[in-house]
Amino acid sequence: MGDSVQTTTFLDEVASLPACDKINECIQCGVCSGSCTTATHWEYTPRKVIALVRAGMKDELLKSNSIWFCVSCYLCTARCPRDIKPASIMHGLESIALKEGYKPPTKTTTMYRTFSDSIVNNGRVYEFGFMFKYYLKTNPFAAIKMIPMALSLLTHKRMPLFAKKVKGTADLKTIINKLSAGGGR
Amino acid sequence: MEPKIGVYVCHCGSNIAGVVDVEKVAEFARTLPSVVVARDYKFMCSDPGQDLIKKDIKELGVNRVVVASCSPQMHEPTFRRAVQEGGLNPYYFEMANIREHCSWVTENPKEATEKAKALVSAAVRRVFYHQPLENKEVPVHPDTLIVGGGIAGIQAALEIANSGHKVYLVEKGPSIGGHMMQLDKTFPTLDCSACILTPKMSLVGAHPQIELLTYSEIDYVSGYVGNFRVKIRKKARYVDASLCSGCGICSTKCPIKVDSEFDEKLAKRKAIYTPFAQAVPNVPVIEKEKCTYFLKGKCRACEKFCERNAINFQQEDEILDIEVGNIILTTGFKLFDPSPIKEYGYGRLDNVITSLEFERMVNSAGPTTGKVLLKNGKEPKSVAIIHCVGSRDEKYHEYCSRVCCMYGMKFAHLLKEHIHGSKVYEFYIDIRSFGKGYEEFYNRVQKEGTVFFRGRPGEVTDVAQTPEEKGKLIVQFEDTLVGKQSRLPVDMVVLCSGIEPQADAQETAHKFNISCGKENFFTEKHPKLDPVATMTDGVFIAGCCQGPKDIPDTVAQASAAAARVLALINKGKVEIEADTAFIDEAMCSGCRVCNLLCPYSAISYIEKDKVSRVNEALCKGCGTCVAGCPSGAIIHKHFTNEQINAEIEGILV
Repeated sequence: MGDSVQTTTFLDEVASLPACDKINECIQCGVCSGSCTTATHWEYTPRKVIALVRAGMKDELLKSNSIWFCVSCYLCTARCPRDIKPASIMHGLESIALKEGYKPPTKTTTMYRTFSDSIVNNGRVYEFGFMFKYYLKTNPFAAIKMIPMALSLLTHKRMPLFAKKVKGTADLKTIINKLSAGGGR
Repeated sequence: MEPKIGVYVCHCGSNIAGVVDVEKVAEFARTLPSVVVARDYKFMCSDPGQDLIKKDIKELGVNRVVVASCSPQMHEPTFRRAVQEGGLNPYYFEMANIREHCSWVTENPKEATEKAKALVSAAVRRVFYHQPLENKEVPVHPDTLIVGGGIAGIQAALEIANSGHKVYLVEKGPSIGGHMMQLDKTFPTLDCSACILTPKMSLVGAHPQIELLTYSEIDYVSGYVGNFRVKIRKKARYVDASLCSGCGICSTKCPIKVDSEFDEKLAKRKAIYTPFAQAVPNVPVIEKEKCTYFLKGKCRACEKFCERNAINFQQEDEILDIEVGNIILTTGFKLFDPSPIKEYGYGRLDNVITSLEFERMVNSAGPTTGKVLLKNGKEPKSVAIIHCVGSRDEKYHEYCSRVCCMYGMKFAHLLKEHIHGSKVYEFYIDIRSFGKGYEEFYNRVQKEGTVFFRGRPGEVTDVAQTPEEKGKLIVQFEDTLVGKQSRLPVDMVVLCSGIEPQADAQETAHKFNISCGKENFFTEKHPKLDPVATMTDGVFIAGCCQGPKDIPDTVAQASAAAARVLALINKGKVEIEADTAFIDEAMCSGCRVCNLLCPYSAISYIEKDKVSRVNEALCKGCGTCVAGCPSGAIIHKHFTNEQINAEIEGILV
């Protein structure tokens, strides 16, 4: 009986996340996996991810590399015949995984975090600072390859050297904090 | 006549008595004014239950009856009959619903009992004011109108005509036959579709009791069950059917080539044409919009070569005014157009075709004389068949089209038969092979070597990623039973397009005063117990206009609709419920608000008397006009203000 209680909990947990409420209406047709641009890298295809949620196999799913390969192209969501929104489910699962301390196998989260930090601080993307921090956090040596492109962007004035903040970043922070309290970030 | 009310509280086994204290309800009823007897009984609908009522009418002089039991939908006719057999007018009866409205929905027995008492009290007060009413009888015209000349219309027409009654069969196209005529073989028995259909078509064409009106449309319908008046527009064919011998020289000589609708635009037809060789009637039509003579004022090639002088450019639309007693709508379906599903590339990629295009191609009388060919004229060595295109998809149609699994597998069989050594792949979500012999056919196709992949493909593309994919169509999909994404290069992709309602289904429904469901299929009176009738008496439906279905189901429905019509014709008259609206002409101001409000067009304005009048045969007793009349001039028989007020008071006391 312990297993069946666990099953309900994980499915309910996922279904309660934003835009994940229709997960139980999936007919397992596989159009998401057939459309997915990165599915060949996934340990479990997007369709199977949904099946694993419904089967309550949380640990098996969150230990795998699957959800982290979602690049948010939304082809699955555009083509899903039941409007399940698989991409939203992947994102929901990512947030559960992070909260519960699963270690992501890709650099995606670092990228997202650095990107959103830049937005929160400046009200817009500050490309130079964002990429600088990202390479610092992941692999500083990889940044060397990017130097020619950075120089080119700088000389063509396509990338400002210093951050240009929008007006009212304090208000923006308040908004973001309120949203974060809802479990977004 | 002093009202003497008898109240009968039904146990309905434990359905009611399990929650409601029925004895207490009966006891309470005895205290109500004018009640002379109140009893409770196990099953009031049983013969002994009904006999209780009859006996009390005779012995105690009961002249008003209240039965507290189930919904009037279930047993009102039963108890009205019992009251009538007891010697009273059947409208001296009222039903209190203490099952659906009470015991089934109220958990607390005390509350349920109180509620049952209130409902009984309301019924008792109401029945006090009931008036005797007489149901009206109207005669039924023995002729029948059938709209739509596909297999459903053909079947229904023959059933009725063979019983010796006249049928008008109206078809908007130049020939009867419908979609079935376009098909090659029929699953699961693989009979040749035309071979089993054309004998029926020629029977229709020759039947003395069938007046076949092709190239015709319905302009206007009025009237009611047994007495419909219909205006039919016989569109100008520009060919005199009484002179034409059907030799076809006109089509041969016509210089204008147009895409053939019958051949799904895979072949050309002429501006003067019959859609196919076995057309019934075998009389061509000139498509005015395409004819050089009509466009430029010259040509007349058809006229010159016609030996019978049958071509008549002066012909005009003809309006036929007919009377019929019953109508059967068999207006059929339209194939879903897959071009909005961009990822499957229909219309963009050569060799992605629809199911009907495949049917025409594989048909020996079709544009390729039965050869399945790619755009380059070669035979495909591998074919992917994609199921559920436009079906089971909230973006297009949520429902299952019911025929695609089977015709998709039929295609696989035909491909193996036509192209030796061909590889065929079925992409399905679920195989629905529910009919007689269908599962066996599935098995047969598997044995023949067709490969089944469970998975709705993500896309069909011509962008190759490997040398093997070059020049092919690539189906990208997940075999969901393996759980891996794959790409499969093939020569041809067939899309199993679903069935959808005709584009003008709503307009048709409006014309015949019936309704459409969410997806625009016509709504039947009851989905299980009355599947071919509609909410409008005398109007029946059969075939795919009611919902997606295969040929056997369509034929069964058409015969069922014919049987319903024949029952009415045989009886010769119909009874009309007496609870209709009645206009007190002394109070009517002639404002005509009711004329517009009436959803059944039952109220008309009488010019010479300056008042509105209700046609009782058309009135369904919905009460809309009663509520809408600014002068309070409309009385709803059996739902008078007095009766309704008494009922409300009864509940509140």
